[in-house]
Amino acid sequence: MNKEFVPRITSFLCKWCSYTGADLAGTSRLQYSASIIPIQVMCSSRVDPVFLLKAYLSGSDGVLLGGCHPGDCHYETGNYHTRRRFAIVREVFESLGLESDRLRLSWISASEGPKFARIANEFTEEIRLLGENPTRKSIFL
Amino acid sequence: MSSISIDKSVAMGLKDLLGYLLDSDKVDSVLTMRRIPETGAWDLALITDSGNLGEAEPLAPVMTVNAGKELSSLSLSGKRIAAVLKPCELRALIERVKREQGSLQNLLTISHTCSGVFPLEQAADGSMNELLPKYEKVASMGEVPSSVRDTCKACQHFIPVHPDIMLASAGAQRPGEGCVLYLEGGKAEEALREFRGVRDDRVFDPSSLDRTAAARKKERDRLFARVENDCSGLDGLLNVFGKCVGCHGCSRVCPICYCALCDFESMNFDYNLPYFEEHLSRRGALRLPPDTVMFHLGRLTHMSFSCVGCGMCSDVCPVGIPVAAVFSRTGERTASLFDYVPGRSLTEEIPVMVFKEEEFSELG
Amino acid sequence: MKKSRNSVLVLGAGIAGIQASLDLAEMGVGVHLVEGTPTIGGRMPQLDKTFPTNDCSMCILSPKMSECVRHPLITLHIKSSLEKIEGAPGDFRCTVIERAKYVDPVKCVSCGLCEEKCPVKIDDVFDEGLRKTKAISRYFLQSIPSEYTINAGHCLYLTKGVCRLCEKVCPTGAINYGDMDREIELNVNAVILATGIDPYDPIGFGHFGYRRYSNVVTSLEFERMLSASGPLSGHVARASDGRAPENIAFIQCVGSRDISIDRNYCSSACCMFAIKQSIIAREHNRDLSATIFYMDIRAFGKDFDRYYEKAQEQYGVEFVRSKVAEVRELRNGNLELKYTFENGDIQHREFDMVVLSIGLQPRAGSRELSGKLDIGLNRFGFCRSDTFRPLNTTRDGVFVCGAMNGPKDNPESVVSASGAVAGAMEYLDAARYEPSAGGGGVPEKHVTGERPRIGVFVCHCGINIAGVVDVKDVAAYAAGLPNVEHAENVVYACSTDCLETIKSRVAEHDLNRVVVAACTPRTHEPLFRQTISEAGLNPYLFEMANIRDQCSWAHMDEPEQATSKSKDLVEMAVAKARGLTPLERLPIEIDPEALVIGGGLSGMSAALSIADAGHDVYLVERAEDLGGNMRDIFFNFDGSDPQEFLSGLIDRVLGHNRIKVWRKASIEDITGYVGNFRTKLTGESGELEELSHGAVVVATGGQEHETEEYQYGRSSRVVTQKEFERMLHDGSFPAGRLREVVMIQCVGSREEGRMYCSRICCSKAVKNALQLRKRKPRANIYFAVRDVRTYGFAEEHYSELRDSGALFFRYTPDSKPTAELIDPEDPHSRVRVTVLDPVLEKEVVIDADLLVLATAIDALPENLKLARMLKVPLNSDGMFLEAHVKLRPVDFATEGIFVCGLAHGPKDMSESLVQARAAAGRALTFLRKKSILAEGTIAEVRRERCSGCGYCQAVCAYSAIEVDPEEQVAVVNDALCKGCGACVASCRCGALDLRGFSNIQLYSVFNSLVRETAEGVVN
Repeated sequence: MNKEFVPRITSFLCKWCSYTGADLAGTSRLQYSASIIPIQVMCSSRVDPVFLLKAYLSGSDGVLLGGCHPGDCHYETGNYHTRRRFAIVREVFESLGLESDRLRLSWISASEGPKFARIANEFTEEIRLLGENPTRKSIFL
Repeated sequence: MSSISIDKSVAMGLKDLLGYLLDSDKVDSVLTMRRIPETGAWDLALITDSGNLGEAEPLAPVMTVNAGKELSSLSLSGKRIAAVLKPCELRALIERVKREQGSLQNLLTISHTCSGVFPLEQAADGSMNELLPKYEKVASMGEVPSSVRDTCKACQHFIPVHPDIMLASAGAQRPGEGCVLYLEGGKAEEALREFRGVRDDRVFDPSSLDRTAAARKKERDRLFARVENDCSGLDGLLNVFGKCVGCHGCSRVCPICYCALCDFESMNFDYNLPYFEEHLSRRGALRLPPDTVMFHLGRLTHMSFSCVGCGMCSDVCPVGIPVAAVFSRTGERTASLFDYVPGRSLTEEIPVMVFKEEEFSELG
Repeated sequence: MKKSRNSVLVLGAGIAGIQASLDLAEMGVGVHLVEGTPTIGGRMPQLDKTFPTNDCSMCILSPKMSECVRHPLITLHIKSSLEKIEGAPGDFRCTVIERAKYVDPVKCVSCGLCEEKCPVKIDDVFDEGLRKTKAISRYFLQSIPSEYTINAGHCLYLTKGVCRLCEKVCPTGAINYGDMDREIELNVNAVILATGIDPYDPIGFGHFGYRRYSNVVTSLEFERMLSASGPLSGHVARASDGRAPENIAFIQCVGSRDISIDRNYCSSACCMFAIKQSIIAREHNRDLSATIFYMDIRAFGKDFDRYYEKAQEQYGVEFVRSKVAEVRELRNGNLELKYTFENGDIQHREFDMVVLSIGLQPRAGSRELSGKLDIGLNRFGFCRSDTFRPLNTTRDGVFVCGAMNGPKDNPESVVSASGAVAGAMEYLDAARYEPSAGGGGVPEKHVTGERPRIGVFVCHCGINIAGVVDVKDVAAYAAGLPNVEHAENVVYACSTDCLETIKSRVAEHDLNRVVVAACTPRTHEPLFRQTISEAGLNPYLFEMANIRDQCSWAHMDEPEQATSKSKDLVEMAVAKARGLTPLERLPIEIDPEALVIGGGLSGMSAALSIADAGHDVYLVERAEDLGGNMRDIFFNFDGSDPQEFLSGLIDRVLGHNRIKVWRKASIEDITGYVGNFRTKLTGESGELEELSHGAVVVATGGQEHETEEYQYGRSSRVVTQKEFERMLHDGSFPAGRLREVVMIQCVGSREEGRMYCSRICCSKAVKNALQLRKRKPRANIYFAVRDVRTYGFAEEHYSELRDSGALFFRYTPDSKPTAELIDPEDPHSRVRVTVLDPVLEKEVVIDADLLVLATAIDALPENLKLARMLKVPLNSDGMFLEAHVKLRPVDFATEGIFVCGLAHGPKDMSESLVQARAAAGRALTFLRKKSILAEGTIAEVRRERCSGCGYCQAVCAYSAIEVDPEEQVAVVNDALCKGCGACVASCRCGALDLRGFSNIQLYSVFNSLVRETAEGVVN
């Protein structure tokens, strides 16, 4: 028996763009990695930076945050705030030498089914190379 | 911009000023460090009667609490307060005012160039008293006293930013210069109109601190390198923060943690049965209380861009985690994402309250 | 007039028809939405991006489509046509033919098996023939309604009597070959026509080689190529060899501005369309170069010129002013363009691909339709309407919106739709209505405090899910999760019998939460919520796990992974369901009155529309007289008299018993929110008055830019177009000879400090020049122009003026004309104007008897104060900034406040009128209701945790949360909160939470993700 690493990627998707884009990928029967575990939120700006931390420390191998393209936010400006918050979390990770590549922000519109599938696959592959999230086994967390 | 010179030591001149402000009813009270004669202990005190100023030691290199934190709440009382603040305390005050936690309206802020404060332990056990002469001597030579808090040694903001009244303390003074008050803005001019001294339009010359600045820069690099070495990667993170006992003392003394109740103490972070069991069974063991590391990472995302590096958090940590060093280092990086400098200006917008349409195009 | 029925027929379900239907339905009016194709959406879903914001077209449209199909007051008639309108306005009898669909929409679950098996391949109309579809299909992937239909003309069984494959594979027995066309009769009060436009077919342009050369495509085909969900997945490629083109030519005005094909009008949108496509193409491929061949760039809309500048500066798009004479195919498939400059020079250049920017023309069959419906058309075949009745057809009670009566872009279509709705109000019952919160009419069970008892239903969706995911295993897994009381498999969760099953299980097991694992909540959540409310549960006690669209369909080759992921999704849904609480949509009372700020054309028109619908209107004007800028307009292209119209309008306003007018008034303060505004104003008497009202219309107007250029103010012979028009009207020309008249365009517009087009100046100048022609036939008229932007039907008048001998000189910002006074001492000096003639490449000097300047339209400086009071934004030019430039063009993000007229941006009288009606229509969607329902999913504050720091206030786009200065605590305005959660995530103190998406719920959801799966280990 040999073990193949199947990453688990917590994916926060905004209802209006990214989640719809993910649906479109499915409707178009585009095949992408099953590692993507979607969580629908009203807006990417609903995602508290602490959610990203919590997902990471709870053992998600990757965390994907999907929102509408800048300027397209269903709630006018939500994704601009998301972007700043994400930049902060990423910088915190980098400053502490944590694997910031496990966190990813993507703008995926409702018509970008192919883009969703591509990002899903690319990100999964990147995570596969990084390996299992070490927090999974850490008893100190 | 103007200045007033008094032919006295800086400490005495400052005490005169505080006395004048109280006696001439320019303020209702003054906020200053004080030494309790009976016990020799230090505290931060609000004094209304100039008769009690004898105990005041406004320039004492001790910080029992970040005065900016205390002052911001007091400032909403409507009382007029003159406060002697260290530069980081002044910056903390500004950060809090920007978050509606205080108001500068009734305050007269007095600040001074700072050579750092002693860790609370030395202040409490009295060992500081023996080190004080050396501290003053080293400081006056423009070097960094070795006895102060780590973050003080590494401090890059030891010249206060826009207080109403500024003084140059040890190290920033020319020999025999006496006490010079640099006034900025109408509020100070108004309050000191009848204060006696030689008026001038002298402007503080920071070049006298170039040597200190260079030394501090070196200390900062050294400190940050140490953090980088000790606290890097998940292992490093556990190494440093694994000791955390979850007392949350660091956030309680933090001047930027203004929250009435900390989110990390809310029910959001209670044990989440049955998933708690899930974690437990998967990892085989789990430390309690949980989420201690997450608490620090969370705080870093919440407030690091506003960290003023006062060092209170490290000082109160019962298990000796270098919280302040980690936070000021990461904070410098998160703030610089937005060209933000905490406490620099009242009008500089807090990064998470605003955005630019064109920025961070590399993300997403 | 009978007003009993209160319903309207809307013909055409493009964006205009959708908007009109939604507005009407929001007012409690029943709508019959009749659409010829099998889906709503019209042209917009074909577009990839929209200018000038590059918004994704589907992203902004699909929420409106879903809303439209879900609204209980909107009845959809797809594949249908309107045959007849009989009766009188207020009581029309309409005959509609619903064509056979051959698929029972109730039974169809949109699984797609039929399409997979259907052997007949046909060109996909939606993808402009760039892809194949089947004889049984959906119009496009995101069609709404989503059910399949059979194309009878291609179906083998229906044409030749063989095949029946779809019937065999359909798991629900939905195929019905016996389906017949049906004629139905609808009784309605009014009709709104919104049939839209067709793109021009360039097959007739033989010299461009369309259809002969494979790399010559239309702009619409190119748009599909650019679309990420299009036939090429957004990778533009040449049909000849599949290579990605590196240089692309856009040829403008193919089928527009062309007398030879009787299309002497401007299609208005194609310039921006080409600019957008060149920008997007560049974004796809950084090495690509785009060249646009054009006559004039008509970037006349709000923020369009900035977009044009951006295309040149940031994207390096090249603009070549010339006329393309011919396209020739080279051996390698490349295309050689031969083009002529204005000075007659001819050049050749080679491109990889050529995009024809095709114009817009009336829909095929519009003549036939006009005959059937007895409505007039204009000479180009567009629906006829007049300047001052821009939304009326020639038949009373029948209104027109969208591009049916002239080329329009998206926002203009939306504006006209809301405007047509306001028009239709005249024929509808004015009673206000009370919207219900929905629900099944079943009393709601009290579940608060109960232990969660969750029922999980795992759908097979035929083989759509069950063919990949081991649904039995998933249901068994669900049954073992904490708090799951019941779990079962269902074949089609959305089928009627299954919905009944769900209801009975709720009763049997006393369930208080329901989870359905099936398709996407985007389409099916409303249905299941409705179902559980019929079972007595609060509709918010429902959660969905998307194991089809985002699982089985996407992981068809990895069944084990898909099963494992389905378990994760179900577990997460259960985790979230555990924390669900009943939510209530609280009613917010609406005051029926409206405040209209500004008494110009727009303000007065908006006020009248609202007042005619039976609402009191407070009309506030700062000047002494009503009329605003229109007081200076005396002529119209069609010969009608603006002043006559204006005085009629003023009389109606002053005589209206529902309109109260304040003149010389100023507004001191406005507080409150939708339905509940309070305004303090001082009128002529100087007395402070206080008003309450439910909505606000901002119609403050704009003003003419005061220029110092071209000797303005130093000689009476230098005047603005506005002054010139008055001169033409009362004959007050300067004394003496009037032979040489020069007009300079873009004075103050389209340059630093005012980087926008003032839109109306070109048409205004043409109009005035034609008036001058009449009065002084021998005068020589010279124009100094940058681009002539006589868009739409004004193009004809531009041609007329040119034919009459007026000369046009082009200038650029670097080669502006100059003007000198011939006698600087003389206040009536003639002016020496020097322009550079780019054709002759030399300076031309004209000693002008009159110099007329087309000065820019400026925003009012007072806007800032008003914007602060209303908490609404201004754009960088100081004009009011609408909620969404495409689809919410007269709304502000803050509900209950609307904008129209010059306050929004430059526009002509007709456009102002339309927009004023639209603002009125949008305001009426609130005012007609006695109350509105706040969202269920809204933010809430835990006061004891709040520190009053104001982060939330700063990030809220809707002014829905503010820190109470007294209490130092944030307060949510339930009426304004949209539930996005931006504030919640900004809150450092955990004092905010989002109902229905609470922190603790979300934490538990991703906590449940940590499950160690057996699938992590494979052999």
